[in-house]
Amino acid sequence: MSSWLDYTINGLIVGNVYALVAVGLALIFGVSRLINFAQGSIYLVGAYIGWVAVVQLHTPLPLTIIVVAVAAAIVGLIIERFGLRPLQNSVRIAPLLATIGISFVLDQLVMLTFSPNPRALPSQLPDVRFQLGGGTIGPLDLLIAGVGLTSALLLFVFLRYSKLGWAVRAASQDRDAAMQMGVDVNRVNQAVFGIAAALGGVSGMLVGMYYNQIDTAMSLQATLKGVVAEVVGGAGNVPGAVIGSLLLGLVESYGVAVFGTSYRNLFAFLLLVVVLVLRPNGLFASARQAPPEPLTGTFIAPSRPVRIPRWALAVAAGGFAVLPLFPVSFYVLQTLINAWLLGMLALSLTLVAGTIGQVSLGHAALLAIGAYTSALLSLTFSVPAGLAIIGGGLMSAALGTALISPSFRLRGHYVSIATLAIGEIVSLVILNWEGVTRGPIGISGIPPLSLFGYDLISPTSIYWFSFAVMVVLALLQGRLLTSHLGRSFRAIRDDDVAARAYGLSLNRYKSLAFIFGGFAAGVSGGIAAHLYSYINHETFNTQQSILALTVVILGGLGNVVGAIVGSVALVGLPEVFRIAAEYRILIYGIVLLLLVRFRPQGLLGTI
Amino acid sequence: MSNIDRRTLVKGSLAMMAGAAFSRAALAQSAEPILLGVSGPLTGPNAQYGAQWKQGFDLALDEIMAAGGINGRKLAYQFEDSQSDPRQSVAIAQKFVSDPRIVMELGDFSSPASMAASPIYQRGGLVQFGFTNSHPDFTKGGDFMWSTSVSQADEQPLLASYAVRRLGLKKLAVLHLNTDWGRTSRDHFVKAAKEYGAEIAVTEGYIAEERDFRSTLVRVRDASPDGLILISYYSDGALIARQARQVGLKQTICAASSVYSPKFIELGGEAVEDVHLGTRYFPQDPRPEVRKFIEGFKAKYGGQEPDAFNAYSYDAMNMAAAVVKIGGTDRRAIRDAFAKVKDVSSVIFGQATFDVESRRVKGAMNAELVVRKGQFALWDGKPT
Repeated sequence: MSSWLDYTINGLIVGNVYALVAVGLALIFGVSRLINFAQGSIYLVGAYIGWVAVVQLHTPLPLTIIVVAVAAAIVGLIIERFGLRPLQNSVRIAPLLATIGISFVLDQLVMLTFSPNPRALPSQLPDVRFQLGGGTIGPLDLLIAGVGLTSALLLFVFLRYSKLGWAVRAASQDRDAAMQMGVDVNRVNQAVFGIAAALGGVSGMLVGMYYNQIDTAMSLQATLKGVVAEVVGGAGNVPGAVIGSLLLGLVESYGVAVFGTSYRNLFAFLLLVVVLVLRPNGLFASARQAPPEPLTGTFIAPSRPVRIPRWALAVAAGGFAVLPLFPVSFYVLQTLINAWLLGMLALSLTLVAGTIGQVSLGHAALLAIGAYTSALLSLTFSVPAGLAIIGGGLMSAALGTALISPSFRLRGHYVSIATLAIGEIVSLVILNWEGVTRGPIGISGIPPLSLFGYDLISPTSIYWFSFAVMVVLALLQGRLLTSHLGRSFRAIRDDDVAARAYGLSLNRYKSLAFIFGGFAAGVSGGIAAHLYSYINHETFNTQQSILALTVVILGGLGNVVGAIVGSVALVGLPEVFRIAAEYRILIYGIVLLLLVRFRPQGLLGTI
Repeated sequence: MSNIDRRTLVKGSLAMMAGAAFSRAALAQSAEPILLGVSGPLTGPNAQYGAQWKQGFDLALDEIMAAGGINGRKLAYQFEDSQSDPRQSVAIAQKFVSDPRIVMELGDFSSPASMAASPIYQRGGLVQFGFTNSHPDFTKGGDFMWSTSVSQADEQPLLASYAVRRLGLKKLAVLHLNTDWGRTSRDHFVKAAKEYGAEIAVTEGYIAEERDFRSTLVRVRDASPDGLILISYYSDGALIARQARQVGLKQTICAASSVYSPKFIELGGEAVEDVHLGTRYFPQDPRPEVRKFIEGFKAKYGGQEPDAFNAYSYDAMNMAAAVVKIGGTDRRAIRDAFAKVKDVSSVIFGQATFDVESRRVKGAMNAELVVRKGQFALWDGKPT
């Protein structure tokens, strides 16, 4: 019995830590309807500024907090001014991509400045412990709780009673109307970003002190948990974010209590999916609240796509098809094989995200399902690789569609968050379902690619195989887009109310899109499994999902040729920048930011 | 000074003779360094390990060059960043295989990245020397896969013996990283500990990004063990030790050698005092190869203490040099040379010789350490 008290206390303690990030995310989402993927990076920057202050400058704690808050706020203001404000009038999805690019750049800058080695960040509070239940808590626990609750309370009062707070709320309800009423929306945005960044920086520092450890990998984890907590509490709802965080902490702690440590994150993401499906606006949204996303699809703005003549496409395809006949190195071929595999994933995502408007952040899960199915079919049942890959595609189509179907009623950002969670759930199930997936040991000795009894092991033959599969999938998808099905998809994306009024069944069309997309992604995963010969739960991770989304946005949403051009670009660029060694991901992030800035509708435009 | 001049002179005239006898190409080749390819993480979540590899490589290379290089030729490496991502490690593999200057490859770090590249190295006939690859299937990828990673089937019984026989722990809680390495280690540890007569109260696997262990530790407490076993890296090991003390667990903690790093003490602070760990070498180790390594490392890196990953990469570079000395620059001859090298001086193994059957090295050294007053020290047999 006393153990349950301890689990409860521990859940609240860690929830406390999540709350610090979630409050900042909630504030920004509340005003600009943006999931700020750079919030975790600001948290990271705050932690390292705190380290400089404490370890190098020996500042006392109150001064440290002020230094970190001010420095982080300045970073936030710079992000707002130069990263996001120029994108104000462009596609709604552009700022999302920009925050991903900014987080790359910030994380890399910190890593290059401070080296990737973890550092100790000593707490400056007296080391006294209070007995609570079976364990103890220290002054830092109380300080973190204090900062979390006070900032939530202050923000609540600020939003409700101050003039600038009213402006913030007005801007969040209706930007245009607020501007007409004379609200300086830019100033509001600045204020919000400054406050959220200050809070993010201070929380990074406090959490660093709490664990006496800071390292450059803490950024993505902080963002993930913060987003979960924020959405559970109701996106954009500051007090809700605090309660959502505590709830998340409790669910994780009880999950550990009942099922063991390796199930911990599974419960976090299941909680998120359940809340999203049952109460899409979060647990604490009031019934009167306006829907968090506009009714019609301004999420993806139409643009004029670049028309590429058919003969040019045919020439390009022919050129790539005969490329191995010329003396090119296997390295170039292998890089292009990677591009074709990513291209299949991007085709899948551009259909789902671009054509029908369901922006998925968990697409790597489809790769994993396809890869595991194909690997297990060929290893356990000796199915030839060619057939096993098709099996992987079918399984991905079926399972992927079944998993996503409960969130068909969601819109805009919520779809992204739900798919992010589903992606994590799939990865954690693979890790824990040892009877089938062999858990963390992974599957080794997967037979190489083969077709009609011939092994495809030379880079040239793998190149032709993957290129041919991708071209076939691209042609099919191109045909799909020009059929009535493609028009229905786009109708749903552009205005689902009108589409429904016209008699289109939303769920049916969304399912069709996911079935086709799931197949393409599953085939890509299947080929990868036979190419690598070894896969485990880490082979297809969140970074792959984010990369795929970047490709799709870069190429132009819904644009088949764009998806392939984007894949070649994003596989090729990091290889081209190899010469820059440690700096290459930084350069990549900057290039990405510039592309979003000057070509937010993608290289080839939305179709 | 004049000594070096004379050597250069001799080398130069030899090269001229060779040039006269053979061809211009041969002359150009012998002036070039012998190049090793390294595939590993320099950016991304595992970047810290790539940085540690570099330190170990560079120290070993300094010593190799000071001793006259490889039969007079320079040895150098080309480090390609894979981010431990299989997509990039396969591209790097093709790059190395198709680059005639590369004579063998070292790495990658994680199993997915290393083993995805293995088929390419095997088919391309380039040795993949995975010196941190403990996955039991790594060397099964083919006869071009060799590893000096300490087999967990060797290491874990040593740790179990330390915990059960020497420290007298009878009921153990095992916390392990839920990766291929942690999982394999756990299985070997549990098997050995049971053989030595201990009871396993509970085992808990956690993911690498985990930072909060308080709830896990309540589970551990409820199983009432008399010892905690950490199959962890130094950063998560330090976190667990700190939180264990915070929630009031006072049991003896015993950790795998991978926590052996000055960072473990820096990050863990007072909480890691009295933590026991089995390692392959220790700071006051009198073995000459260890003295040379530690003193050389401190001199090169401003007094910094080397850790386990520095030692692995230092050993790996020395092994690579020994192999290239026998095998020359022919890729197949280098593969065959792995079976021929005998008793290469090594921090981890003392003397390293490959078992040709498993293509791994057996018989790692063992030292039983304990953290005392913020330092790693040889355990004096006194209970804590």
